Amino acid sequence: MRGVWATLISVWALFAILAVLAWTRQPSGSSQQAPTTVIVKGKNGVSQLVTVPSTSATHATTRTSPVPVG
Amino acid sequence: MTATAGMPVAWLVARAAGLVAFGLLTVSVWLGLAMSTRLLSPRRQKTLLGWHQTLVWTAVGMFALHGVALMLDPTLGFRFLAVLVPGAAPWRPFAVAAGVTAGWLVLTLAVSFHVRRRIGQKRWRLFHYATFGAFALALGHGLTAGSDLRGTTGLVAAALALGPVLWLTFARILMPRTMARPAPASGPAPPTRPAAETRPLVHA
Repeated sequence: MRGVWATLISVWALFAILAVLAWTRQPSGSSQQAPTTVIVKGKNGVSQLVTVPSTSATHATTRTSPVPVG
Repeated sequence: MTATAGMPVAWLVARAAGLVAFGLLTVSVWLGLAMSTRLLSPRRQKTLLGWHQTLVWTAVGMFALHGVALMLDPTLGFRFLAVLVPGAAPWRPFAVAAGVTAGWLVLTLAVSFHVRRRIGQKRWRLFHYATFGAFALALGHGLTAGSDLRGTTGLVAAALALGPVLWLTFARILMPRTMARPAPASGPAPPTRPAAETRPLVHA
């Protein structure tokens, strides 16, 4: 019976630590908003690096038109 | 078991199992030392010894899971021998060797409980001192090879684990080995036994 209890507690502890480790690995929101550097090829064939600033504003969703009555 | 949606599951399981194994080993060492110093109730020695053994065997199971998960992790690429033979690991060989040696020592100590009568109490007790080595190696492995016990977190965890071990070790050295037995309620007093026979069983 002691073995069962010890195993149960250990497995629960294992899952708890796993959950914490997995949670702390989640990508943070700030990293997604970091500026992105892209290579842009111009008309004359010269490539140049362009840093695109992050857009903090969220995209507005379109609202569906109300269903006409009658 | 390599990755689920970009999550290195084997690596996370290896870390969690290693931490749980070290926790179980630590509690088992505390319990063994507390028993040998008789700080815990001597009446429950048998129950406490049972828990002491159970915790060690559970730690062995978690050590095994730790090793298997490391073998399954594609980034580290540990082979079978790297997990079983000290010094065979390509990544941080000394730090990993400490962990492998600790694992083997803990397994041998767990087995030694079952051959205690065969090898004799004196030899068993002498071998049981290897617990200190196993604990030190496991702690060193966690601090040097692990990625979770770094910096302040590692120092705090080491202090939490090591503090009671040091305190109980000093208590065991300094405290008298024989404790006064409660006098029987009635009847003649039992004959006095030699001091060597009244020494309590040493568990760690």
